[in-house]
Amino acid sequence: MGWEEGVVLVGAGEEEVEVNRSNQVNSFNLKDYKLMPNKPKIVCVTGGKGGTGKTLVAVNLAIMFKNSGYKTLLVDGDSENPNTYLLMGGQLENQTEVPFFKPKILEEECTKCGICAKNCAPHALLYIDNSVPIPILTVCSGCRLCYKVCPVNAIEPDYKVIGWTYSTKAYDVDLLIGELKPGEARSAAIIDTLMNKIENIIDNEPDKYDIIVLDTAPGAHCDVELLIGKADLVIPVTEPTKFGKLDLIRIIELIKILNKDYRAIVNRSSLLGFRDQFMEELNSMNIPLLGDIPLNDDIVASYCQAIPLMDADGEFDRSGEGYQAFLNIFNNLREWIGLNK
Amino acid sequence: MVIIAIPSDGEGGLKDKMNSRFGRCSSFTFVTVENNEITGVKTVPNPASEAMGGAGIQAAQIVANNGANELIVGFLGPNAAQSLNALNIKIFQAPNQELTIKEIVDIRLKGKMDLISSANVGSHYGMGRGGGFGGGRGRGSRG
Repeated sequence: MGWEEGVVLVGAGEEEVEVNRSNQVNSFNLKDYKLMPNKPKIVCVTGGKGGTGKTLVAVNLAIMFKNSGYKTLLVDGDSENPNTYLLMGGQLENQTEVPFFKPKILEEECTKCGICAKNCAPHALLYIDNSVPIPILTVCSGCRLCYKVCPVNAIEPDYKVIGWTYSTKAYDVDLLIGELKPGEARSAAIIDTLMNKIENIIDNEPDKYDIIVLDTAPGAHCDVELLIGKADLVIPVTEPTKFGKLDLIRIIELIKILNKDYRAIVNRSSLLGFRDQFMEELNSMNIPLLGDIPLNDDIVASYCQAIPLMDADGEFDRSGEGYQAFLNIFNNLREWIGLNK
Repeated sequence: MVIIAIPSDGEGGLKDKMNSRFGRCSSFTFVTVENNEITGVKTVPNPASEAMGGAGIQAAQIVANNGANELIVGFLGPNAAQSLNALNIKIFQAPNQELTIKEIVDIRLKGKMDLISSANVGSHYGMGRGGGFGGGRGRGSRG
């Protein structure tokens, strides 16, 4: 027998089927908090390339906001490698499971009609004529359509754990962390869960935070897009290499598609003396800059010891190049956001 | 009686070439074998050849719905392997050569094919690739 392409809602019964995609990732149903005057400012630290120092920047910005008296939340949205807490010497605490829909087929109830399989867009239900369908969970998008269209209610929503969120605190900065279970594919569902948690905080405790700093994964994929889409200001972090430049251009394309204001940071700017040439290249492409961070031993030491460079009680050299670079970036950022503290 | 499914090029049939891609072949040829003799041939087009995703699962459905007990493949993806195993369909590894369906069935009937149980390529391997075996590409792990 043949399987027609694009079969939609075949034999769904009398009721009109409402397609509930609440478990699918959808950036368009997020409220536009820009319309709310007293909402926290959301700063997203990102960058196309891996290893440019996104987490280093996000952690130290959060610390500097806290130092200036702002109530600060740092969100780790790099769900495959969440490690902001490590750079702050923190622990993963308050673990919560992230559930993901999977169909549970009740064999006694199933009439083997195949309607669920015919409606499944990713073809995650293996259906042989006159047999109970077999779910292929690795391709299931979690849309619940099978559950909705089954005419005899033989499909029940069931859940599998695809990751976890954690909330903890380090250096008086609140941390919200998402972690994808190794081997699972739907990382955007973890980010979606983090987004819902942020929305809940803003809805129910609008005064809880003044600033929310989002740290993203490298790349320009849907996880990163979701986080940038939520931000007021976007800070792509790059480095003065060909990789760094190419990936910066890619992430800026995404930022422009999402219609966000951005300013870049060049980390390791003194690398092999290419700083001026790289800065000139960015300038010729009209890429606005928030500042640059030179190679600096204090930064390396803070990284290795998991003590944030900008910690107010820290013992790093406050006249050092690294410390001064971060201070300069923070002052530029404060001005950009329009903060007075 | 055994029904052997083989991914084929074009319309399918004994004279057509085998297609190395399972989910994205253009047709399936079903060969019925009794007492080591070919007693029937049926061809079925593969509507999943251009599918966005899930082609291996749809192809497994076609194979099972046409009563096949065995399948001979070149490249097999993970979703297809999972589906075929769930349906208890025996999977045999074709040699890495350009052969007709008839030649492939003859090799199988001589008992010269390895049984496999897992994928030998990753997801979406067959997408956007032409038919036929790639020049000198080695085979992945055998089950």
